[in-house]
Amino acid sequence: MRDYWLSKLFFDLQTPAIAEEYRADRGKVLARYPLKPEVRAAVEADDVAGLSKLANPYLLRFYFLMAGMPEDDFLRRIRSTGTSRG
Amino acid sequence: MAELAGVYAASHGPMIVRNRDKLTTAENETLDSAFIELGRRITAARLNALVVISPDHWVNFFIDNLPSICVGVGEVHDGPPEPWLKAFPHRKLAGHPALAEHIVRTAVGHDFEPSVSYKLTLDHGFCIPLWKSGIAPLPAIVPVTFNVIEPPYPTVKRCYAWGTMLAEAIASYPGKLRVGVLATGGLSHSIGEPDMGRIDEAFDRDCIRRFEDGDAPALLDFLNARLPAAGNGASEVRNWVAAHGAARGRGFELIHYEPIPNVYVGCGFASWKLG
Repeated sequence: MRDYWLSKLFFDLQTPAIAEEYRADRGKVLARYPLKPEVRAAVEADDVAGLSKLANPYLLRFYFLMAGMPEDDFLRRIRSTGTSRG
Repeated sequence: MAELAGVYAASHGPMIVRNRDKLTTAENETLDSAFIELGRRITAARLNALVVISPDHWVNFFIDNLPSICVGVGEVHDGPPEPWLKAFPHRKLAGHPALAEHIVRTAVGHDFEPSVSYKLTLDHGFCIPLWKSGIAPLPAIVPVTFNVIEPPYPTVKRCYAWGTMLAEAIASYPGKLRVGVLATGGLSHSIGEPDMGRIDEAFDRDCIRRFEDGDAPALLDFLNARLPAAGNGASEVRNWVAAHGAARGRGFELIHYEPIPNVYVGCGFASWKLG
């Protein structure tokens, strides 16, 4: 199951101008998406494991790359989630 | 009538381009030489049109509406949107609407219901193989997207049937064209999953052997059993299965295979025997 608005956020951030805006002011961009409170909290906490249950893995990988998480950090966090997802 | 003049497959991992500076010299040379050999074969086939089967990596479609198969029937397609593909030499790629529409009509006649797009943007899945293989001149492109990145995926049986239909569509096209089919993606890899970075070399080599053998039922049985555990990116082998169908299961000649950890992908390149 995917979280629609989280997925939409990730999808929209593929637009370079929106990504730039997001990196400058996350809150301003997040305010445009009706994210559930727990989902928004997971975004704000860079919770790879939590978000991995809610979005397509390609979009998840793109998001953290776009957001500036170092590759080694992302790999360590995603690998720690332990089980494959569909 | 048109002629199927070549069927090919190539990996398209983004890191081939985006991570080029971090790949070893040997890795870059391996990839370069495989792509160049692929391009030599495609150029030698003197194609007027090339049907390219690739996933759409969240560029044209979203979970609002995600087609299983979509055929690009436009006169022109947009080049890749990825910022790291700015050096790709084509901002626009010519399409072949007449051939594309004939493929759609033939598909419907074979009980497929493909989506149709008059305006596709071709991401790295299409453009890395087209670019790195140095095909010159670039033939008209008929893009076909297979949804192999967000379940539910088309079955491998259905992908094979799409390929056989595609061969019939090309053969029945009422125009003198030399047409190729290029499947992109695969082999094993995992992206954004807990096993990201794992390459299932045993799967890849078994898979290649079955493509070489050309025994389609055995290949499909193998993939039904093994594909789900080979990483989410391995799902792109479905594109290769369609190419296998287009080549009527004649088997392929491997150009090169190498698992390249810095690309995260078991990289494979092949062309089918058309007899």
